[in-house]
Amino acid sequence: MVCVCVCVCVCVSVCQVPVAEGKSVQQTVDMLHKKLEQLGAVKQGNFWVDCETYQATGNATGQPTKLLYVMHNSETPLSSMALFEGGPGLTADANFDVLMVKLKSHFQNAKGHKVESRGTRYRYCDFLVKIGTVAMSSSARGISVEVEYCACVIPGDCWNLMKEFMQSFLGSSTPELPAVFTSKAEGLYAPVDCMDTMSQYLELFGKVRKQQVLAGSGVR
Amino acid sequence: MSQNLAKLAQRIDFDQSSDSEQDGPERESREPWSKPEPEEDEGAVKFQPSLWPWDSVRNNLRGALTEMCVLHDVLSVLKEKKYMALDPVSQDPSVTKTPQVFQLISKKKSLATAAQLLLKGAEKLNKSLAENQEQRRQRDFNSELLRLRSQWKLRKVGDKILGDLSYRSAGSLFPHHGTFEVIKNTDLDLDKKVPDDYCPLSVQIPSDLEGSAYIKVSIQKQSPDIGDLGTVSLFRRQPKAKPASQTWHVKLEAAQNVLLCKEIFAQLSREAVQIKSQIPHIVVKNQIISQPFPGLQLSISLCHSTGEKRSQRASPEKSKPDDHLYVLEHNLHQLIREFHKQTLSSVVMPHPASAPFGHKRLRLAGPMAYDKAEISSLQQSEGLLEKIIKQAKHIFLRSRTARTIDTLASRIEDPQIQAHWSNINDVYESSVKVLITSQGYEQICKSIQLQLNIGVEQIRVVHRDGRVITLSHQEQELQDFLLSQMSQHQVHAVQQLAKVMGWHVLSFSNHVGLGPIESIGNASAITVTSPNGEYTISVRNGPESGCKVLVQFPRSQAKELPKSDVLQDARWTHLRGPYKEVHWSRMEGRNFVYKMELLMAALTPCP
Repeated sequence: MVCVCVCVCVCVSVCQVPVAEGKSVQQTVDMLHKKLEQLGAVKQGNFWVDCETYQATGNATGQPTKLLYVMHNSETPLSSMALFEGGPGLTADANFDVLMVKLKSHFQNAKGHKVESRGTRYRYCDFLVKIGTVAMSSSARGISVEVEYCACVIPGDCWNLMKEFMQSFLGSSTPELPAVFTSKAEGLYAPVDCMDTMSQYLELFGKVRKQQVLAGSGVR
Repeated sequence: MSQNLAKLAQRIDFDQSSDSEQDGPERESREPWSKPEPEEDEGAVKFQPSLWPWDSVRNNLRGALTEMCVLHDVLSVLKEKKYMALDPVSQDPSVTKTPQVFQLISKKKSLATAAQLLLKGAEKLNKSLAENQEQRRQRDFNSELLRLRSQWKLRKVGDKILGDLSYRSAGSLFPHHGTFEVIKNTDLDLDKKVPDDYCPLSVQIPSDLEGSAYIKVSIQKQSPDIGDLGTVSLFRRQPKAKPASQTWHVKLEAAQNVLLCKEIFAQLSREAVQIKSQIPHIVVKNQIISQPFPGLQLSISLCHSTGEKRSQRASPEKSKPDDHLYVLEHNLHQLIREFHKQTLSSVVMPHPASAPFGHKRLRLAGPMAYDKAEISSLQQSEGLLEKIIKQAKHIFLRSRTARTIDTLASRIEDPQIQAHWSNINDVYESSVKVLITSQGYEQICKSIQLQLNIGVEQIRVVHRDGRVITLSHQEQELQDFLLSQMSQHQVHAVQQLAKVMGWHVLSFSNHVGLGPIESIGNASAITVTSPNGEYTISVRNGPESGCKVLVQFPRSQAKELPKSDVLQDARWTHLRGPYKEVHWSRMEGRNFVYKMELLMAALTPCP
């Protein structure tokens, strides 16, 4: 049941939208929703992405503890993804969580570090836009926007189109090409994996966590 | 000579009687005595030759005379009955001396011994017969049990033999236990006559599975009264045999059928309640009602007759026996069996202990990160009720299409409409090829050929010229479409006929924008001109307005045209002039194309 496979995914870009000046997270999210609806997108339910952190025990002193992240995505409801930061990733069945419980002695769950992003899902022709509120220990920390272009799996072919689309409703917060795509051996023209989506989310969640560390209660 | 005579005379035996026949054997017995007598007499005669040869004769005669006299005297005395009476001589007493009592007793004794022997033998026979019968009954029971075991699953619980008639081992998940008990029926009185349907083995089925059941699927016009629901009479004619006397296999099969019908109905009603649809399904008592099409009602009911209540409900629906769609009932049975098989199929079993039940591809969903679309394509999304409703819709649509085509074909003779139904169908799709032709001109006018694909809710029409039209389930749409095609056919026929006859097509339009507006489709028109250009025929045909045929004559034949100064040359009179309408209904010919051919022939002058 636990194996690494290559799977066909769609081209996804995840970015973080900064909270608007003087507005709360919820208000910014509502603004984005309105913009999308004006564009002509249709609401298609909800989504969630979450990430749990596991600390590897039993390491020799001096070496930084390796953190294992186990993530779930509502788009692939029967899978669990496990990845190290910048390292290898693994796609497995939902039973992987149970396996992690059994591996309690080797990987300890850092319960306070669970990050999740929940929100609504919009569909605009071939695009899927997911706007979610990133929350850590039930306090909203930021906004994540995931844009998915369902018709293509090669980022090199559709990045420009996606950027243009994002510009239409994100405006200035349009991100640059995600590092995940450029860091691959074949470059931009390798087919996309669901791991890439998850790495992007991991990056985003990492940023959100760091924000917590840096600025205390500044971000509301 | 006298010596001879004397010898002969001595030979006469006076003891012998005259009737020799009766005393034949006596004579024979006396012969050996008589023989030694003449020898003795001859010896005596030889000894005394001096005696008178007739002496012995005389003595014998004298003796006979004496005896006769005595006899005569006795008889005469007897006659007087005064001094002598006749008394019968008693029979030999020594022979009859043993008394009858002894005879009786001895006979009785001998009979008694004989009887005893016979009785003993009979007793032995009886005993052996009884043993045989008992053994046979036991063997019968055992052989019946063996037969039962070869067809049904049995197990022994204590001293009871229980069996399983549910479909659980075939993959069903219905919670009914389905246990039946095997009863030994061997305590039969041997003296009484064994009934014809005696079986040493009988089964006792659970009380709620008694009787017989079937699922009735029918499509009716919607009943306006909601209160009527659930009171549909559901029993068909009772089977003739009494349930108590049926053999075990019939009983078990009937009980299993009842169980299957119950399972089907439970599954259907569960889905009817759970699944959200636009028009909710109504579940009332043992009937599920849903609306496949507006104005139509599909009712699925579980008809369970237990056999005791025979005349409890009269059936008012007996008048519509063909209301029951047997095909759908059969399909329901097949679908539930398919569902059973799926829980046991090799796609599902064997499966790892940690994996849940389901398609084995689903186990890959995790590692392969399948998204929701892929997962839903693997999982069965349609339940039993949805499937059967779709099938019912298709059946209804198909029968209504057939009826529409048939009514049109019988109503309209020209042009003719032919339907060739495909033999190979799907539960959700059938197809029919509709040809519109004119009688006698099938080879020429075959441009209208339609392929109708009848689906669940729509009919897709593929035209020969490549157009694809989707018609809804409304009957009127199909009828209107076919009528418009028939009108177009006439005009197409003129076009083809013109080719054959050598006439030239000047203009042709499938949808004419001039003239009165048709409510069904559009009118079509064609203009053809004769080979020498003198005459022109113009045809306009519409589904409602019918056909209008006009002929254009050359100017020379028109009498109303005034002579004008402008056209002085005689050759201008060869041009075509005014139009004249043809009284088409009075034209000779059995159909439109025939009439047209005649008209064309009439307008083509002989060379």
